Amino acid sequence: MDEITSSEAAARLIDNELSRLDPDANRPTNVISTEGLNLSFGGKSILTGVNMEFTRGTITALIGPTGSGKSTFLRTINRMNDKVPSFKHEGDVKLDGESIWGSNQDLLTLRRRVGMLFQRPNPFPMSIRDNVVAGVRAHRIAKGKQLDVVAETRLREVGLWDAVKDRLGDSPFRLSGGQQQLLCLARALAVGPEVLLLDEPTSALDPLSTESVELLMRAMTPALTIIVVTHNLGQARRVSDKTMFFYEGRLVEHGDTAQIFERPREASTDRYVNGLMG
Amino acid sequence: MSIISPSMQRTRARRVREMLFRSAAMASLVFVVGPAMWLVIEVVVRAVPHWHWNVLTTVSQGTSGGLENAILGTLVIMFGVLIIAGTIGILAGIHFAELARPRRSGKASGAVLRTATEVLSGFPSIVLGYVGYIALCVGLHWGFSLLPALLILSLMVVPYIAKATESAIRQVPTNYREGAEALGMSPGYMLRRIVLKSALPGIVTGVLIALSIAGGETAPLLYTAGITNNLPSASLIHQPIGYLTYYVWTDYNQPTNEAHYVSYDAALILLVMVLVLLVTSRIIVARTQRHAEGNR
Repeated sequence: MDEITSSEAAARLIDNELSRLDPDANRPTNVISTEGLNLSFGGKSILTGVNMEFTRGTITALIGPTGSGKSTFLRTINRMNDKVPSFKHEGDVKLDGESIWGSNQDLLTLRRRVGMLFQRPNPFPMSIRDNVVAGVRAHRIAKGKQLDVVAETRLREVGLWDAVKDRLGDSPFRLSGGQQQLLCLARALAVGPEVLLLDEPTSALDPLSTESVELLMRAMTPALTIIVVTHNLGQARRVSDKTMFFYEGRLVEHGDTAQIFERPREASTDRYVNGLMG
Repeated sequence: MSIISPSMQRTRARRVREMLFRSAAMASLVFVVGPAMWLVIEVVVRAVPHWHWNVLTTVSQGTSGGLENAILGTLVIMFGVLIIAGTIGILAGIHFAELARPRRSGKASGAVLRTATEVLSGFPSIVLGYVGYIALCVGLHWGFSLLPALLILSLMVVPYIAKATESAIRQVPTNYREGAEALGMSPGYMLRRIVLKSALPGIVTGVLIALSIAGGETAPLLYTAGITNNLPSASLIHQPIGYLTYYVWTDYNQPTNEAHYVSYDAALILLVMVLVLLVTSRIIVARTQRHAEGNR
């Protein structure tokens, strides 16, 4: 008994020490929150009344049938929808307590802090190395020899280094689809985001590549907060801490992933997670 | 007794259709490639037997002598057009593709501008030449000289470059743009580093066509550049300038064999210039596109 108590005390001590070192300790627990968010394109409502908080360092899965508004929701968070002329939003999205549409919010900095990975791998038409450091260059985070270090670090981080270290100058389109997606992940990580938005990141990948992306997602938290749209319910169940279920333009239900899948409160959630509705 | 079933009949009909299409395509190919080959062969066959290297190093004496003045003149004109029309045309193309999109600005200044450039490219070159003569050579007292020639030729070829640039930029995949935006690249940075790079082959093709036209035009130059047997000078105005197409045309209409040889030589040199342009542009494209999506 004594042993357990003392080890618990030690754990508490370490926890306290860690939280003192943690740069995020004094920030709001919720890295992103939405308040009464309504989204529409050309007067057609896509999503209404979303109030949601995303806890720092967690993985949240966004599930729901096609057209339920989850991708639109995701693309709103880094303001990718803003350029669509008919896009309108009401309510607010806050990053660290500040509105993402606020006048003191710089769009380019916002997108550096909130990274995104797309459904289809989209490397740029430049060498593998240049792809990894493309964002770093644009934001002038590093230059010259430092870029090589950044490239190696990030490629190691996503487990691609050994496969590409001898051909950093090659075209990224010679890589397999899974490797290309990992390269895009390395590119997104290189600018040091706090939040990563993943839009069906593995739907174009084979099972092995999917697994490595999922393992990486787990490894990247709690340093990073991840929001992932997925049609793969197994994936949502495997990787996420929280799950949000969207249906017909509404956030029907959200909660711990286990609860959503095992004890859904709403009938539509139940039907969807059990495969009775696609 | 027939053993051909309806499905076999359909297959046969498809084969026949396919063969017709193939032959039509082949015929078109011959129609395009044939005259081009014929032209090249005729020029080479007529020019080479009488070729003297001193054509490159001596100036013209009217219906005889060399072509140094015309070679340098054509090179100067092409270079000038590259600078003037290249800059304006590429910037105009970027404007059409990126800034003047109808869906963005509603009514779009782009539509008016685009129509204007299309009208411009449909203008007969001799009319433009005459306008240049009246407005620049006479009106501004520039006389036959390089600058009015460059301005008129640039006016002629800007639409080609603008159009080529615009369509090349429009063909840049959306997912490159999305990737760049999601990384927080500014629109200008994205344009320079990603979009233009990916659109380069199309832009180079446009510039290539423009330069070939600039090197191959005669009518507008007769009105603006005049002609001289002297080497090009440093002055932009008041000094006429020589060019190859003048000798191709004038000396071919002379009665002497000697004059005809000059005409063939000038045509051959123009052909070689266009060939060198083609090869250079292909090298540029190959070098910059080695990481492109199609080049696995």
